[in-house]
Amino acid sequence: MQYPEPIAKLIDNYTKLPGIGPKTATRLAFYTLGMDNEDVESFSKSLISAKKDLTFCDTCGMITEKDMNPCIICRDKSRNQGTVFVVENSRDVMAMENTRDYHGLYHVLNGVISPSAGTGPEDINLPSLVRRLSEHEEIKEVIVGTNANAEGEATAMYLARLLKPAGIKVTRLAHGLSVGSDIDYADELTLIKAVQGRTEL
Amino acid sequence: MGENAQGKTNLLESIYVLALARSHRTSNDKDLIQWQQKETTISGRVHRRTGDLPLSLNFSNKGKKARVNHLEQSKLSQYVGQLNVILFAPEDLELVKGAPTIRRRFIDMEFGQMNPLYLYHSAQYKKILKNRNAYLKRLQLGQTKDTVFLDVLTEQLVDTGSQVILARQAFLKNLELAAQPIHTEISNQQEKLTLKYQSSVDLSENTNIDQIKSQFLESLRQQYQREKSQGSTALGPHRDDVQFWVNGKDVATFGSQGQQRTAALSVKLAEIHLMQQETGEYPVLLLDDVLSELDASRQTHLLLAIQDKVQTFITAPSLSDVAKQLIHAPKVFHVKQGQITVE
Ligand SMILES: [Zn+2]
Repeated sequence: MQYPEPIAKLIDNYTKLPGIGPKTATRLAFYTLGMDNEDVESFSKSLISAKKDLTFCDTCGMITEKDMNPCIICRDKSRNQGTVFVVENSRDVMAMENTRDYHGLYHVLNGVISPSAGTGPEDINLPSLVRRLSEHEEIKEVIVGTNANAEGEATAMYLARLLKPAGIKVTRLAHGLSVGSDIDYADELTLIKAVQGRTEL
Repeated sequence: MGENAQGKTNLLESIYVLALARSHRTSNDKDLIQWQQKETTISGRVHRRTGDLPLSLNFSNKGKKARVNHLEQSKLSQYVGQLNVILFAPEDLELVKGAPTIRRRFIDMEFGQMNPLYLYHSAQYKKILKNRNAYLKRLQLGQTKDTVFLDVLTEQLVDTGSQVILARQAFLKNLELAAQPIHTEISNQQEKLTLKYQSSVDLSENTNIDQIKSQFLESLRQQYQREKSQGSTALGPHRDDVQFWVNGKDVATFGSQGQQRTAALSVKLAEIHLMQQETGEYPVLLLDDVLSELDASRQTHLLLAIQDKVQTFITAPSLSDVAKQLIHAPKVFHVKQGQITVE
């Protein structure tokens, strides 16, 4: 027997979310049926609003509300205007902001360079970084915080080659042992990375 | 024991996959899942000197999950190596004469089990190579003119690829040392086996990592025009090969089929010793329909070398006379239409 069309459509839509198979989607769809009308309405509105009312900051590429462009961080003149922290996505900005330890600016690439996935240097938010740096001579340092995998590293190396000739200091986040982890328990690769990224005392 | 196509090889394959998290038969994990099924799980208990260790692997359309002692591992390099296996199948007798890919896969599979760092470097290398080839294609098609990013990929390729080459050279030296006495014995003191790493990078006498790197980089520089016009990486460990020499001659070209098989057998047996040296324990040996491919003398050498030491799974239509003599109290299972019964 077939489900009535409205619920079949709902199940189908849930399966478009990452990590959700038909079984979970069916459970979620039936759960949705049992929810209050108000909650369902607010849910559907926030889905639409997330797409409609958000945009990427023209300056740094982070997600921001449409009537807040440039974003709240780019507008904040009390932040250190000399440092730009380059990250892969907006979630990384949130993580860094939660540390409350960094007070400079950001640039969100919204991806990494990955030719095998069809993404070249011009397909991520990178040309705008180069433009931004040439327009703002007060930026003296770029910290690259892309992930420590092959593509994150390639993106970082590319940035370094592009920016260093312009006299901008380019630094890379150290990766290695996490704070509090015991050397005994670190796996071999983490140890090797930690040794490579050692700092002078 | 069982006739062909009854599921004997599937049983050995599942042990192999449990150890290496991939099949020797296919590079597509989806092929491991039964038709019209969504997932498959292989689990086993490994009896080691330090105690029993449960391993389990789950394959589904979302990828694979590897568990050691019920705990999910975030990296496969932490999983592979918990159970060491060596598979010896008829196609391994082609090791000497077959296509270079057979020898490269041999090194990647066997060495990777013993050395997680090698496993990591060779996986990284493959990823970087894929990116570099894709970028060369873009340059070839004129979709980009930016060679700065190609330089970045070249640097990454050289860094990782040189580690792969260096590790392979060291592994082959050890393998040669372990294979030589075995080969001498099987050939009745008539032959001396040597293994040569044939790199597509002109290495001459370069042995340290910096020399390999600079030579690799230089070789790529010379090939740049060719790479750009072909849209792919011209050289590197993915194009390297191993040569088997006996008494100063390349066996693949100048040796008899018997000599080629003796060389392949010696190398396979040497691996068992190497793995025992590296890990302190003998690997599990899987002999997939290979005994019947060997003559009585080579069967004898093989079975004596593992007798009472190495846990071995053998598949065969029936046991040969040599095998009956040399295998003490074998546990025999019959495989028929996917059903396994104890004799
Ligand atoms: Zn902004």
